[in-house]
Amino acid sequence: MLKSKTFVKKTRSGGILKVVREHYLRDDIWCGSEVCGECRDESPVLQRDACMESSLCPSPHYLIPDTNVILHQIDILEDPLIKNVIFLQTVLQEVRHRSAPVYKRIRDAIHNADKHFYTFTNEHHRETFIEREPGESANDRNDRAIRVAARWYGQHLSRAAGGGELQVVLLTDDQDNKEKAEKNGILVYKCEEYVKSLIANPELVDRLALTSDQNEINSGKVLFLEHLPLSKIQAGIKSGIYLQGTFHASRDNYLEATVFVHGEAAERKEVLIQGLQSLNRALHQDVVAVELLSRECWVSPSEVVLQDDGGKDEDTGEEEVEDKNKSAEASILKPTGRVVGIIKRNWRPYCGLLSQSNIKEATRHLFTPDDRRIPRIRIETRQASNLVGHKIMVVIDGWPKNSRYPNGHFVKNLGDVGGKDTETEVILLEHDVPHLPFSQAVLSFLPKMPWGITEEDVKNRMDLRHLCVCSVDPPGCTDIDDALHFRELENKNFEVGVHIADVSHFIRPGNALDQEAANRGTTVYLCGKRIDMVPELLSSNLCSLRSDVERFAFSCIWEMNYSAEIIKTHFTKSVIKSKASLTYAEAQLRIDDTSLNDDITQSLRGLNRLAKILKAKRVEKGALSLSSPEVRFHMDSETHDPVDLHTKELMETNSMVEEFMLLANISVARKIYEEFSECALLRKHPSPPPSNYDILIKAAKSKGLLIHTDTAKALADSLNLAEIEGFPYFNTLLRILATRCMMQAVYFCSGMDSDFHHYGLASPIYTHFTSPIRRYSDIIVHRLLAVAIGADSTYPDLMDKHKQATLCNNLNYRHKMAQYAQRASVAFNTQLFFKSKGILNEDGFILFVRKNAIIILIPKYGLEGTVFFESKDKPSPHIAFSDEVQIKSCMYLPSKKKKKKKKKSHKY
Amino acid sequence: MATVQVSEAEKVYILHGVRDDLRVDGRGCEDYRHMDIETDVVSNTDGSAKVSLGYSDVLVGVKAEVGKPRPALPDQGYLEFFVDCSANATPEFEGRGGEELGLELSNTLYKVFSNKQSVDLHSLCISPGEHCWVLYVDVLLLQCDGNLFDAISIAIKAALFNTRIPKVHLSEDEEGGKEIELSDDPYDCVRLNVENVPCIVTLCKIGHRHVVDATLQEKACSVASLLIATTHRGTVTCVRKFGGGSLDPESIFEMIETGKRVGKALHTPLMELLKEEESLGKKRQKVGFLG
Repeated sequence: MLKSKTFVKKTRSGGILKVVREHYLRDDIWCGSEVCGECRDESPVLQRDACMESSLCPSPHYLIPDTNVILHQIDILEDPLIKNVIFLQTVLQEVRHRSAPVYKRIRDAIHNADKHFYTFTNEHHRETFIEREPGESANDRNDRAIRVAARWYGQHLSRAAGGGELQVVLLTDDQDNKEKAEKNGILVYKCEEYVKSLIANPELVDRLALTSDQNEINSGKVLFLEHLPLSKIQAGIKSGIYLQGTFHASRDNYLEATVFVHGEAAERKEVLIQGLQSLNRALHQDVVAVELLSRECWVSPSEVVLQDDGGKDEDTGEEEVEDKNKSAEASILKPTGRVVGIIKRNWRPYCGLLSQSNIKEATRHLFTPDDRRIPRIRIETRQASNLVGHKIMVVIDGWPKNSRYPNGHFVKNLGDVGGKDTETEVILLEHDVPHLPFSQAVLSFLPKMPWGITEEDVKNRMDLRHLCVCSVDPPGCTDIDDALHFRELENKNFEVGVHIADVSHFIRPGNALDQEAANRGTTVYLCGKRIDMVPELLSSNLCSLRSDVERFAFSCIWEMNYSAEIIKTHFTKSVIKSKASLTYAEAQLRIDDTSLNDDITQSLRGLNRLAKILKAKRVEKGALSLSSPEVRFHMDSETHDPVDLHTKELMETNSMVEEFMLLANISVARKIYEEFSECALLRKHPSPPPSNYDILIKAAKSKGLLIHTDTAKALADSLNLAEIEGFPYFNTLLRILATRCMMQAVYFCSGMDSDFHHYGLASPIYTHFTSPIRRYSDIIVHRLLAVAIGADSTYPDLMDKHKQATLCNNLNYRHKMAQYAQRASVAFNTQLFFKSKGILNEDGFILFVRKNAIIILIPKYGLEGTVFFESKDKPSPHIAFSDEVQIKSCMYLPSKKKKKKKKKSHKY
Repeated sequence: MATVQVSEAEKVYILHGVRDDLRVDGRGCEDYRHMDIETDVVSNTDGSAKVSLGYSDVLVGVKAEVGKPRPALPDQGYLEFFVDCSANATPEFEGRGGEELGLELSNTLYKVFSNKQSVDLHSLCISPGEHCWVLYVDVLLLQCDGNLFDAISIAIKAALFNTRIPKVHLSEDEEGGKEIELSDDPYDCVRLNVENVPCIVTLCKIGHRHVVDATLQEKACSVASLLIATTHRGTVTCVRKFGGGSLDPESIFEMIETGKRVGKALHTPLMELLKEEESLGKKRQKVGFLG
């Protein structure tokens, strides 16, 4: 049966369009129940004995939730207890329209066979489709469609043999809808009353999200100004009264935040927000509208480190320590504003700890998220005593204007605090790292084992199996994605080859494997754990360029002369057979051991010599060598506890490999940009704005040194010169500071940007080509290059610059998150390490001085921490603080006492 | 226009018939052939109608779009006409063959319909000088069997009657910038007042008499014809003469009188039919193009 669906919509250009779609109705959509004899469903999803013991509805029943129930109570629906739920198409469409993340979660739940969730396409069912009636709003129509479908189910199942007992329960929180449904003779409950009636799991009640009306009941005085409605905000932004930007809470001071205003580079600016009222319930990462205050009200960022200890649970509305640096010079005043409205919330589930209320029997508790930029959240739970000492996950439901804290609800217990698995899970969740095992769909695209290289494969590739190729990697590396070779040519020139694992041969564009890899973006290395971007079969076996096995490679081969000038560059797909996989140390030993003179060693020496020349050239051009306090752990092989740690050591061979990888990346970047000027995926590192260098210049000035930051070259030179007698670490400290001045390097699509420069490497063009096993960007670059040399065919998405730009955004995000996760993992392992050590004395350096605290770096452990001068039980030492003191940031502070988690300084 | 070859003897036969008020197909001089009207036949237009008159077959679709008012008439919307002579209608229209006729037809239609006496153009204005509705009236000739103007004009009137324009309102922000907002209820729409929309009556001078709704054969016997557009009150809104022959003033006067009479008689049953069809609502069996 054919119906047509007609609606009018407004186009972007302001025109009005009438859209007519054909809508086909069918009579072969099954109800999906095991009971039903009428529908010829081969594998019904809904069980015959749908037992969810509920005191409200003792007989077996199926649930039909409405849209708002799904949107708000997704956590409940995901609980294993809830089974046999019918999702109507109408509802799913609305959910999809209103919240993509919830939609994804519900889809995942539907795919889980244990849940017995069934999607009923009521919109295409002949008996449940309804047309919108005159005067009916879209919402009313959908509500009616839900009721019609629920009623149909009720009647349909009661007709089925043996289905007499089965009932259908409609869950809705909408009073009006509930009344209408009751009138139609449908069994209907509010979500809350139904969940409370469940006998099997009373804890589920904790996960109920507060619905909006409950959110508002909270009496008490109004703490915040009302948020403006979206229409007013939009009008305001258009006319320039308000600015739209992303809200970044400060890590150090919970009363301060910065809003990065969206817009073109020229008008991009930061707006400082200070004080609870001005922050107005915005949370980290929200998109907000801000209003600039008049110039007289501008302030400078405070120098205080403030943590929200909150003290009291209830909304006593403690007045915050408003310290307005009125005396501060006008020059350091920053544009200051206040948040007037929220354009888009970016809430996610937060991990953290429960701080139990002092009052016994209380059900309301505060939750402290791990992320310091997130305020504490008030949750309601009856199992607080069980949750104390556990990491838990909490979701925010709302933040009423009369509440000091946002309201949320408990979602999941992750495990004991400090447990390695728990904390790793927390790190992965907090950094949004996709870490679930690969799905069957993804795995189905892997090559079938046993896999071997066939004649056919070799025909289309350059056979380099005879060459003396070897790889140099860190110890314990199983995903070897690069290998090198070196040989002298007859004309006295050298041939150097960089061979990169040919991952794009195995991962074909567009399939599930490719999509998963594109979503993961990068492999994440945590201490003792690796979260792969591609399944292990590829990452550690088929793609990994291990020694003595034949592997596909993408090779970049140069002919170089004695002074490392490139004569010729050649790219090709190839087959190689690595002769040795060495570690950096092994390779170094071979180079240094004069008694060895085999092929591999000879090649390594040749490579090393060329690498040194290349590096010298690069440094000459102004490439920066920066430093960050990185540590590595020695893990106990049994317990996986860290037993020892040392800072990363750099050997000549590290830089040898790095040098050739850089060269390959640059060569490839040139090639793909030449071939595809619009859609080459490149990597750039913008030069930082001069103001970024302030901390570095001030720090150096405190020791009487001058740092030039005009160009990368000047910076590199002055960093090289900045040495102090008897203080060898000072230079490293400066380099650590310099690293913090830098901008993030990002991927971008060449058609969308004009500035390609890589500041840190002093290269006009750069990309990532050399690690396709662990970075998705490299896979794209491989594909581009393969098309450029005619080794592979192209596909539409590869040439679409907008799609590429979206991909780049995801890659940049994943990359950043992976870095943060890595750091967090190191930090956690450092703590584990100190757990067993007790109190230690170590040397530390002051990085920054704040009014009430100093920030300290202990280089031996790469540990950075805040040390407060005053604490509750101790009188504060008298400190004269002036702006200039801040500059003494690199003061040497010998023997600092250090406790395992909290650090306190006794002497200044 | 599509023509047929008629022999001398035939011509005489037709001429004599007309003289005696008895035409070849049995009609009187002021009778129309059998007419079929169906509205709402093309779902992706805002209003449409299909009219077949004898074997002449026309389809009219009305699309409403937001446009800028003409500078001279800032507070009015307007109508645009386009006539597509499909090669289906007659092989002569193949390629660019129908273009000239199409242009001539659309120019005439514009003269007849796009004025504020015929259609309430003020009601098409959204905001004076800035936005107005433009009604694009597309006429498709499916088959030509004479008297296209009359068939087209009836189809246009029916299509305009059927037209539903989405209701919009202007929202003004503080800056004075205006934005068109659309009602989210698809049933919320405006209808045109078609009371004054004229119908065209084409009169062919055959011998000393004139006939209404001439077939192609009759047309071949005529040297001149007069197009008269009249409203339901009998007001003549437009007169045009076609054909090479001359008409003496007296017969013009007579023809206009006939046109008014026939036109008046045409409007009343047409409106009744349209209203009746509409009252059937969704129960109506659609005939479409295959009926």
